[in-house]
Amino acid sequence: MRNIAHILFCVLFVGAVIRAEDDGQLQLTAEVKSHGWIAYSARSGKGDWDIFACRPDGSDIRNLTNSPDTNEGYPLFSRDGARLLYRRIKRDENFNGNDHGSQGALILSKSDGSQAKALGGEGELPWASWSPDGKQIATLSLKGVEIVDLATGKVVRTMKRNGFFQQFTWSPDGKWFSGVSNSFGTGWSDARMNAETGAANAVSREDCCTPDWFPDSNRMIFSNRQVKQGNNGYGWTQLWMANADGTKAGLVYAENGRHIYGGHVSPDGKYVIFTGNAQEDGDSEHAGAPMELMRLSDAPMIGGNDREDLIKQFPKAKNGPVLKLPHGWEPIWTLHEIFTVKK
Amino acid sequence: MKSSQLKSSLALFWVLFGASCSEHHGDGADAKVAKLGTIEITARLMEVPQKAVIERQLYNYAGVFKYQIEQVHRGALKKGDIIYVAHYNPFKPRYEVADNRILNIGGNAGSLVAGQHHRMALEAPLDDHYMGGIVNEYFEEHPTVIHWALWTNAADAPKP
Repeated sequence: MRNIAHILFCVLFVGAVIRAEDDGQLQLTAEVKSHGWIAYSARSGKGDWDIFACRPDGSDIRNLTNSPDTNEGYPLFSRDGARLLYRRIKRDENFNGNDHGSQGALILSKSDGSQAKALGGEGELPWASWSPDGKQIATLSLKGVEIVDLATGKVVRTMKRNGFFQQFTWSPDGKWFSGVSNSFGTGWSDARMNAETGAANAVSREDCCTPDWFPDSNRMIFSNRQVKQGNNGYGWTQLWMANADGTKAGLVYAENGRHIYGGHVSPDGKYVIFTGNAQEDGDSEHAGAPMELMRLSDAPMIGGNDREDLIKQFPKAKNGPVLKLPHGWEPIWTLHEIFTVKK
Repeated sequence: MKSSQLKSSLALFWVLFGASCSEHHGDGADAKVAKLGTIEITARLMEVPQKAVIERQLYNYAGVFKYQIEQVHRGALKKGDIIYVAHYNPFKPRYEVADNRILNIGGNAGSLVAGQHHRMALEAPLDDHYMGGIVNEYFEEHPTVIHWALWTNAADAPKP
């Protein structure tokens, strides 16, 4: 009799936990569903890479480029959400996780994908990133940092790049650039550069990448390689955040067995989207990785089933809901309504 | 042929065979090393930092190596100076290192081994010639200039 009561208790307890998790997912879905749009690159049904948009809960997926003869990737919304930059490469070419910002041609379109036009030729305007007002872009090449006026196409300012070499992003307040740099003793350091003086500091000196800004321009989110974390000494890449001066670094999300890349904070600073995949680089060679979304107030969080060593490493890890979104690569979020509402 | 004669012949064969197989590279000069870059030196590879020669899954990178200059053929460097040289994807032999990202590099040198002598065509500073990850185990030594290896040929130690 006692055993039956014990089993019944366990069943009810597990059921309650599952119910609570479901409730958490439903609540998060309701919170973000109408919270703008996420753009991302993904394989279409025809096998090419296109730019897609979906609601932040993963619903209402729309193909913005519909171009089976070419591949498109690396979308970037202007800060007002009105326009989109992305790269277009040949159909038989793959996006490379180290070079995607300089592959193919830079394309400018309205944020619903209409009125697309090339801004330059193959390889030109590499690692282009929007200025806060959307009138200029910053580019990063061997020549250095170039600020290009979008209306005229002319370079209006140049700076030395000081070791920055990829994933270059202008901060929302316009005062800084973020990127990956080779100047700080590790092959891939996430770093910040003063947009006026060029002075740079490391944000993280682990092997790390995909840095991006919080909306306040004072903090950054980035992927951090934790070599201690298994994978035959190679480690799994975790999602971290820190002040942009490198202080107060802390875990956002980690999972044994998956590399967490492409972290992007929602424009209101409350949520983060990322990709997680067993393959490196978000797996742009194949089909991208599952995108996921969580509340930043639930960080730090440990995902997956094999959690024991990570929980020892991060004893203050919390539990919270994580929404599973479609497969994608390099997602970006705008709060703006990017499609014309039919009256 | 008597047994002793046979043994002597075999010994002579192995001596001659061994001599013909020992590595003689000459001065390492060729048209590429003489033409590329603004600096051309022969230098001794002082050591091979362990992390600089690891093949990294999916990632191309440059590894920084320490050399002592033995002979200056072109450029403003001095014999005896210690310099830091970045080799692209240093786990590969130099004759296989060019790829679609970095085209005009190479040489006849194979695996990088401490004590080897290399005749190299170089450029500097690195930032003007290479964009990418760098594995630099000499970061704490604060090298003021890191040179970029364009062409790396095996060479014998220059005669004094």
